[in-house]
Amino acid sequence: MICLLILVSLIAYIVPVVGPEGPNPDAPSSSGSSGGGGSGGGGGGGGHRQQSIDSEIRTYEQWKMQYPEKFEKLKTILWKDPITTEDYKLPTVLVYYTGNSTIVTRNQPLDITTTITNNNPLEMRRMLDLYLEVENPGSSKYERLNTWPEKIQTNEYNEKTNTTYRVWGILPSFRYLTTTGLVKVRVNVSDGVNKWSSSDYKDIRPPFYRELVFNVTNSPPVMSNFTVKPSGKMRYNDPIEYDARISDAEEDMLNVTLHVCDDNGQDLKNVTQRVKGGVDIIFRANEYGLFDDADAGKNFTYYYTFDDGIDANRTGLLQGPSIRKGPKLFVDRLSCISESENNYWWQWYTFGMRVKNLNPEEYDVVFTLYTSTESNPWKVVDSKKVRVGREPREVSFNMTSPFTVADANQTFSYRIKYSEYDQSGKNSIEAMGSRINPKVVPYAIYSPEMILNLFFMLLFIIGASLFIERKLKRGIEFQESFSRKSGGISSGNNKAGDSGSGEDISDKISSVFRRR
Amino acid sequence: MVDLFAWSAVFLAFVLVVAGLLHLYNVDRVHRKLMKIGRCQTTREAFFKEMTVAQGSNFTALAFAGWVLVFVAVAYLYFLVPTILSYSYMQVPALISSPMGFGIFGVIIALGSMAVILGLDMLPESYRLLKLTELYSFYTISKSTKRLIGMTVPALCTSVVLSAYLGTIYPGRSQLAEIFGFVLLDASLIVLVAPIYRESWEGRK
Repeated sequence: MICLLILVSLIAYIVPVVGPEGPNPDAPSSSGSSGGGGSGGGGGGGGHRQQSIDSEIRTYEQWKMQYPEKFEKLKTILWKDPITTEDYKLPTVLVYYTGNSTIVTRNQPLDITTTITNNNPLEMRRMLDLYLEVENPGSSKYERLNTWPEKIQTNEYNEKTNTTYRVWGILPSFRYLTTTGLVKVRVNVSDGVNKWSSSDYKDIRPPFYRELVFNVTNSPPVMSNFTVKPSGKMRYNDPIEYDARISDAEEDMLNVTLHVCDDNGQDLKNVTQRVKGGVDIIFRANEYGLFDDADAGKNFTYYYTFDDGIDANRTGLLQGPSIRKGPKLFVDRLSCISESENNYWWQWYTFGMRVKNLNPEEYDVVFTLYTSTESNPWKVVDSKKVRVGREPREVSFNMTSPFTVADANQTFSYRIKYSEYDQSGKNSIEAMGSRINPKVVPYAIYSPEMILNLFFMLLFIIGASLFIERKLKRGIEFQESFSRKSGGISSGNNKAGDSGSGEDISDKISSVFRRR
Repeated sequence: MVDLFAWSAVFLAFVLVVAGLLHLYNVDRVHRKLMKIGRCQTTREAFFKEMTVAQGSNFTALAFAGWVLVFVAVAYLYFLVPTILSYSYMQVPALISSPMGFGIFGVIIALGSMAVILGLDMLPESYRLLKLTELYSFYTISKSTKRLIGMTVPALCTSVVLSAYLGTIYPGRSQLAEIFGFVLLDASLIVLVAPIYRESWEGRK
C-alpha cells in the first residue's frame, strides 16, 4: 500500500519534469480575441515546488544507487515516446461567412471570420500568422489588408474541437472601393515554416469558404426636390437660388453640376459643387454670376449632372428662372430734417432722397423707410409706392415720428430700401443721423399736461386726507370715538349720517369736508 | 450740490428718527410721573385716554395731508431723477414721458404712504402712541403752531412742483429749484415734528 502511494506521488511530480516540450508552468498565459479553449495556467507557488522536486531528485538518486534494477524498471514505466516533426499536420484555415448573399452593396456591413482547426498535440503546435487578402475588381493580384499579422497562439484552441477563430474588423464593408465588380477574399497563413492560403483547400462547403467571392454593387446617388427661388418672375440680380436634395446610400462625396440652359435647352453655363450625399445642395446665382442685365426678359431652363465617382446620372430639363425686365434706379441726396435742432425724441423728422430710372420705361417702385437706434434696431417707419421714370423726383417721408423715449440720448441711423436695384447694384441707401436729445419728458412745467398732473395729484392727496379724517374722526373728542368703537354712545353726527338715507349725494360729499 | 442733497437726506432721516424716539420718551415720561403720584390707572388704554386731547378735525386732516405730502415730496425730490441715487423713476421712461406720468407717480407714493399710516392706525389701543393719525393728540398745540403745521401743506406742494420741474428739464438741472425744493421739504418736516421736540425740551425743565 505504501509503495503504491509512493508511486502515485512519483508520477504526479515526474510528468512535468521529464516531459520533452510541455508548457512552462511559470510562463504567463496568453490572451486574445480568440474563442479557443486556452490551456495556459498560472505560475504561483514555484519556490515550494522547487524544494519538493529537489528532495525528490535526491530520493531518486538514492534509489538509483541502492536499487539500480528497480530504478531501471521505473524508468521504463515512466518513459514517453519522443515527438517527431514528421507527424506535424498543417492546421486547416478557412474563411467563414454567414451572410445571406455574396451580392453586397459597397456600404453593406460585412462579418468575415477565419476559423482555424489545429489537430496537432499542444506541444507540437506552432504559432500562426494570418493575413487577410483581397483581390479588388479589375485587379489580378491579392493585396494584404493587415500590415501586421493576426497571431494565433498555440494555447488558444478549444480543447475539445481544437479550433479557434478571428473576426476581421479591418474589413467592415467595401465602401473604400471606387469600382464595382467581383471581390475575392482569402486568408494567407504562415506557421514559421510553411506558408499556405485558404484558397489552397478543395471541396469546402458554406458557411466555410476557401475563398469568398463577393459581387459588390454601388448605390447610385439620387436627386430630388428641385426648386428655383424666388418663384415667379424675378430680376437678374435677385438672390436666385437653385435648390435640390441629393442623397447617396454610401454617403460618398458627390460631384453635382448645374447646367443653366436657354429656353431651348442649350447649355449656357455650368457650375459644379462637391458635396457629401444626403444634403440639400444650393447654387446661388449671384455667387457664380450666372445672370446679368442682358438676361432681363429671358426664360431659362436647367438640369443637373451628378456622380459619386462610380455611377453618373443626369436629371431631365427643368424650367426656371424667368428674368423680368425692370428699372435701373439712380438714387442720391438722401437727407433727414428734424423739427428743431434740439432733436428731441418726440419731435417729427422728415426723410427724403432723389431717384430716377436710368432705363427709358416707368416703373412702380416701393420705398420703405427704416430707422435704427441701439434700443430699436431697424424699425420700419413708413412705406410708399412711387412711379419712377427718367425724370428725377423726390421721394420723401414727411413729418414722421420714428422715435420713442427709449431712443433718447442715442445716435440714430436711417435707411430707405427700394424694391429695385440702384446704380450700385444695391437695393437700399442709408446714412447716420445725429444724436437724439437726452431729454426724456416732453412736457414743460407750465404745459397743460403738467399743470393737470400736479393739480389733480395734490388735490387727490388733500381730498383723500380730509376724507380719511372725516371717516376716522381722530380730530374730535377721543371719548366719543373711543366709545363708538366700543359699541357705546353714538355721536350726533353719526346719527345724522346713519339716518341720512334721505339726503342726496351732494350733501354727503359736502359733509365730508364740513368742519365739525 | 450732490453733497448738499445727500446731507439733506441724512438730515431728514435724522430728524424723523429722533422725533420718533422723543415721542416715545415723552409719553413714557408722563406715564411714569403719573404713576409716581398715583393718579394713573394701571392700563395703558386708560392712560392714553386720559392723556390725549382732540386737536380738531380740520387740523388733523391737514396734518395727515402734510405727512402724506412729506413722503410724496421726498419721492419727487430723491427718486424722480437720478441725481443722487442711480435708480429713479426716469428708468421707466415710457411711463414718465406719458401725459399722466407725473400724476401716476405721485398718486402711487401717496397711496403707499396712506396705507402705511392707516395700517399703523389699526394697531390696538395699547399702541396708540404709534398711530400717526393721533400723533398731535398727545401734545398741547397752540393755534399759531396749528397754523404753521397747516402751512406745511402749501409748502410741500411747492416742493413737489419744484421737483416736478427738475424732472421736466432732466438731464438738465436747476440748482435754484433743487435748493428751494429741499429747503421747503426740510422746513416743513421740522414744523411737523416741532411739537414733539418742544415737549421734550419743556419736559426737561
